[in-house]
Amino acid sequence: MIALLLVPALLLLVVVFVGPLFRYAWLSFHADSVITGLIAISNGGANWLRLVQDQRYWQDLFQTLRFAGVSVGLELVLALLIALLLDQRWRGRDVVRTLALIPWALPTTVMALGWRWIFNTPYGPVDHLTKIIGLGSLNILGDPSLTWMATVWADVWKTTPFAALILLAGLQTIPGDLYEALRLEGGNALICLRRITLPLLRPYILLALLFRLAQAFGVFDLIQVLTGGGPASSTESIALYAYWNALRFLDFGYSATIIMASFILISLICVIAWIALQLIIPTHSKSRGAVSS
Amino acid sequence: MTLQIQNLGRRVGQQWIVRQLNLQVDDGECVALVGPSGCGKSSTLRLIAGLDAVSEGEIFFDQTKVTHAMAAQRAVGMVFQSYALLPHLSVTANLELGLRVRGVRPSDRQQRIQAMLDLVQLQDRADVLPAQLSGGQRQRVALARALLRDPEVYLLDEPMSNLDAQLREELRPELRRLVLNRQKPVIHVTHDQHEAMAIADRIAVLHSGRIQQVATPAELYHHPETLFIAKFIGRPQINCLRPSNGVVCAVRPESLTFASEGIPCKLISREWLGSSQLLYLDSPQGPLRLSCSTAVDIPETIHVSWKASDEHHFDAASGIRLP
Amino acid sequence: MSTNIFLRRFFAGIFAVFICSALFGLAQARIVESVSILMAAPFADATQDLVNQFNKEYRGKINLRVIRGPLETEAMSDLAISSLLLGKAPFDVLLMDVTWLPKYAAAGWMVPLENNFNTQDVESLAKGAREGNSYNGHLYRWPLTSDMGLLYYRTDLMDRPPETPEDLVSVSQSLQKDQKVEWGYVWQGRQYEGLSCVYLEMIDGFGGDWLQPKSNQIGLNSKPGIEAAAWLQSLIDQGVSPKAVTNYAEPEALQSFKVGDAAFMRNWPYAWAELQKTDSAVKGNVGITTMVAKPGYSTATLGSWGLTVLKGSSHIDASIEAIRFLTSESSQKQLFQKYGYTPTMQNVFDDPQLLKESPILAEFGKAQQVVKPRPETPLYAQISDVLQRQLSGILTNEQSPQLGMNVAAVNTDQILISAGDRS
Repeated sequence: MIALLLVPALLLLVVVFVGPLFRYAWLSFHADSVITGLIAISNGGANWLRLVQDQRYWQDLFQTLRFAGVSVGLELVLALLIALLLDQRWRGRDVVRTLALIPWALPTTVMALGWRWIFNTPYGPVDHLTKIIGLGSLNILGDPSLTWMATVWADVWKTTPFAALILLAGLQTIPGDLYEALRLEGGNALICLRRITLPLLRPYILLALLFRLAQAFGVFDLIQVLTGGGPASSTESIALYAYWNALRFLDFGYSATIIMASFILISLICVIAWIALQLIIPTHSKSRGAVSS
Repeated sequence: MTLQIQNLGRRVGQQWIVRQLNLQVDDGECVALVGPSGCGKSSTLRLIAGLDAVSEGEIFFDQTKVTHAMAAQRAVGMVFQSYALLPHLSVTANLELGLRVRGVRPSDRQQRIQAMLDLVQLQDRADVLPAQLSGGQRQRVALARALLRDPEVYLLDEPMSNLDAQLREELRPELRRLVLNRQKPVIHVTHDQHEAMAIADRIAVLHSGRIQQVATPAELYHHPETLFIAKFIGRPQINCLRPSNGVVCAVRPESLTFASEGIPCKLISREWLGSSQLLYLDSPQGPLRLSCSTAVDIPETIHVSWKASDEHHFDAASGIRLP
Repeated sequence: MSTNIFLRRFFAGIFAVFICSALFGLAQARIVESVSILMAAPFADATQDLVNQFNKEYRGKINLRVIRGPLETEAMSDLAISSLLLGKAPFDVLLMDVTWLPKYAAAGWMVPLENNFNTQDVESLAKGAREGNSYNGHLYRWPLTSDMGLLYYRTDLMDRPPETPEDLVSVSQSLQKDQKVEWGYVWQGRQYEGLSCVYLEMIDGFGGDWLQPKSNQIGLNSKPGIEAAAWLQSLIDQGVSPKAVTNYAEPEALQSFKVGDAAFMRNWPYAWAELQKTDSAVKGNVGITTMVAKPGYSTATLGSWGLTVLKGSSHIDASIEAIRFLTSESSQKQLFQKYGYTPTMQNVFDDPQLLKESPILAEFGKAQQVVKPRPETPLYAQISDVLQRQLSGILTNEQSPQLGMNVAAVNTDQILISAGDRS
C-alpha cells in the first residue's frame, strides 16, 4: 500500500527527469539538425567523437569547473559566516534575515543586468571605485582575465543567501549545551567552531555543496546576460554552449551529446566533492579513539 | 572549599529570574535545589557555572570572588540534563576533548581517561559513539567528563531526569560513590523530591526565583516554613483543611488515624501501594487523604482524627508558617 | 402537366440551393478571422496604432492581435524557435530578423510568399530593402523596416565626416589630443552578433568578403579580412576606442556617445531618435554617414526586420492582408514620423514632405543603397559564432589578427563542410 502512495512521485520523477535523460541519451547518437531538416538520423558515435575532439567543449568545461569551484567555495565560507551571525541574537536580526534573502529572490536576468551596469566601464560605480582606490580603470567585463571573476562575484552575491539559509537551519539543530559544556572546559569560539559546529553541520554543508555545485555547473542565464560568454569566450559555460547548439544552431544531436556528457561529469563531481568533504571535516574518530588534530 | 552565594540575582529584561538568593555549600556537602518548572533552579546553576551573567550579588569559591569570572576559570564540573555529549565523537574522544582544550599532555590524557573509564566501568565502551550507549551509560560518561575536570564545585543539572525510575534508583549509589564522596561542594538540581531527599544533605526549595527554605530533608518535612513547601514536599500530598479565621491547618496523610470519634468521613476511593494504602475521603472539612498500613482494617463508618502536635498552621494570605 | 410540375420542382430545387448557399455565405462572412503576430517589444509598441487602424478597417472580417515578445533580438529568436519546435506555432506571423531566414527556411517553418507579392511590389522597395527576403528562390518575408549600420559623428567637432579608416583614426586622435572628447570611436566589441555586423562593414570596407554568395569562398583570412580585424584591434591599442569596448553592445556605445564622450559611434538608425531626446548632451550636433572604408567600398550591414507567415497558420490570406497593411506606404510614413523607423519603399525615401520634415531621411536613404546582408546560409548562427569568438580574442589581445582569422576561416570551413555545402 505504501508503495502505491509513491506512484505519483515516481511518475513525476520519470516524466521530468528520467524521460528527458533517456531522450538525450538516444539523441546523442543521432544527427538531428537544420542540415537533416530536423529529422533524427542515426550517426553512430559521431557526436561523441566530435565532442572528444571539440577543444571548445573542453575549454568550456574548464571554465565551468573554475566558475563552479570558486563560486561554491566562496559561497560556503561566506554563507557559514552569515549563518553564524544570523544564529546569534541581536537587535534587528530578523530584519536582516529577511533582507539577506533579497538577492536570492531576484530573477537572475534582472540581477545580471544590474551587475552589467555596475561593472560597466567607465560609467558604472565599480569603475569609479577602482579609480578612487588607485587600481585605475579595470575594464572588468572586457578583459578575459578579469571577467570570469565578475561572473563568480555576481553568482556569489546571488546564491550565498540560499546556502546561508541551509546552514542556518543546520545551526539551529545543534543543542546549545554542547557549546556550554565545552565553554566550561575553556573552549573558545574557534575551538567550538572546529569541534562542534563544523562536524555537526556537515550534513547541511554537504547538502548546500551538492545543491550549489549542480546549480553552478549548469550556470546559464547569469552568463548569457552578463557577458554573453565573452570576451574571447572566456566565460562561456557548458550550459551556454549546449543551449546555443540547440536554440541558435538548431543542432539538437550535438546539444544532447553535450548535455549527456555534462550530466555524467556533474554526477562524478558530486561524488568526488562528497568524498572530499568526508576527508576535510572529520567524522567519528572511532578507530583512532581520539580527536584528530 | 566552600561555595558561598550572596544576594544573587539575574534579570532578563524587566523580569527577575533569580533574586536575593543566599546559600552556602561546604566541602562534601550536597545541596539539592528543588522547585516547580521555571522556579529558577537551573538558572541558579548556570549563574554559578558562569554560563549566564550575574545581575546582582556575589559568588565566592572560598575567599575568591568569581561572580564575573569566565566559566573556564571557575573549575566547576557540570553534568547536563541532556549529558551534552558530542554525537560525532567516541566516548574516549568526548572525554579527551576537555583535557586537550585545557592543554593536558597527550600521554597524561590517555592515562587519566583510562583510569576514569575504569572508575565509571565503561572500559569496554571506550570507542563507541554516544548513540550506541544506554541512557545510564551516557550519564556515566557525562559524570566522567565532569570528574576529569578536577573541579572545585560539582553542579548536577537534573542528571537523572532522562532515565527511567528504576535506573534512577540504581544510579543513586553510583552518584554517591563517584561525586558525593569527593569532599567538594555539590549542587544538585532536580524536580524529583525523592531523589533530592535520598541524595542531598540539605534541600533548598525555590519558588519564583527565590529560596523559600533551606534545611535538611527531615526539617523540611516536619517544619515546612511555608504552605508551598508543605504542599511541595511529601507524597502523598499534605491535607489542607478549609481555612478558618485566616489560618490554614495542614496535616500529613500518615498523621491521620481512625478513631471512634472525630471527623466523620466517607470513603471515595483507595489506592493500594504495597506496604501502605492511600484512602481518599470526603469530610465536612473538605477532601482528605489518609495513609495507613495495609494491615489496618477499614471500619464501616469512618471517623478520623490526629494529634494536635501533627498540625501545621499557615497564614492563609501569605502562606507563612504560624508558630 | 407533368413537365410543368417537373419544371416547378426544378426551379424550387435551384432556389433552395441558392438560399442555402447564401445563408452559408452569410455565416462564413460572420466568422471573424483572427491573426496573431509575434513581435519584439519595441515593434509591438510602435505598431500599436497601426494595428488599431487595421482592426477598425477590417472590423467583422479580420482581428489582428500582436503578441509582445522580449526586448532583445537574441531573446526574441530563442522564444520564436522554442515555440516553433513545439509543433504548431501559437501565432500566424512572426516579425523576424534578416539573419534567421535561411535557417527557418531549411527547417521548413515558413510559407512561401512569391504568389502574394508580385514583381511590381518588389520593385517598389528601395534597393537595400530587397535584400534578405528570399532563400533558395522563394520569397519568405516582407520587410517592415530597413535597418543598417551607420556611422554617427559630431557635427560640432568637424565640418565633414571622415571617409577612410585612416581619417577616422587621425580625426579622433587630434580631437582626443585637444581634449574635446575622451574617446574617438565607440562601437560594438562584445562577443555577440553585433560584433559580426561591425566586422562585416570593415572587411567589405577593406575590399574583402566574409563569405562570397556564389562560390562560398571564405574571405576571413584574406588580406582585407585580417586588415579589418587588425584595424579594429588597433583602435583599442591606440586608445581611439576605450578598452571596455570589448564588452560594448549598442546600449553601452550609445551611452558613451550620448553623454558626449566620443566623437564617432557605429550604431543602427534607432539611435538617431535617442540622440534627439532632451537628455542627450549631443542633441543637434549629430550627423550620420556610411561606415568608413577604402574609397568606393563603403558598406552598411543589413539588419532589417520583416514579416513572415508561419507554416501551420490557418489564416494565410488574412495574414497577407495584415502584412500588406502594416508595410503600406502610409504605415511606413507613420512609423518613421512617430518612431523613426527607417522605411523600406523607395517612394517614402523620396517623399518631399517627409524629407522636409526630417532631412536625416536622406542619409538613411543613402546608407540603404550600400547595404550588405550577412552570409545567407542556414548555418549562419554557427559561422557568426566562430567569427565572434575569434574576433573577441583578437580585440582582447589573446591572439594576433593573423592567427585568429586563420582559425575563424578554418572553423567556418569545417562548419560548411559538415553541412555538405562544399566538398
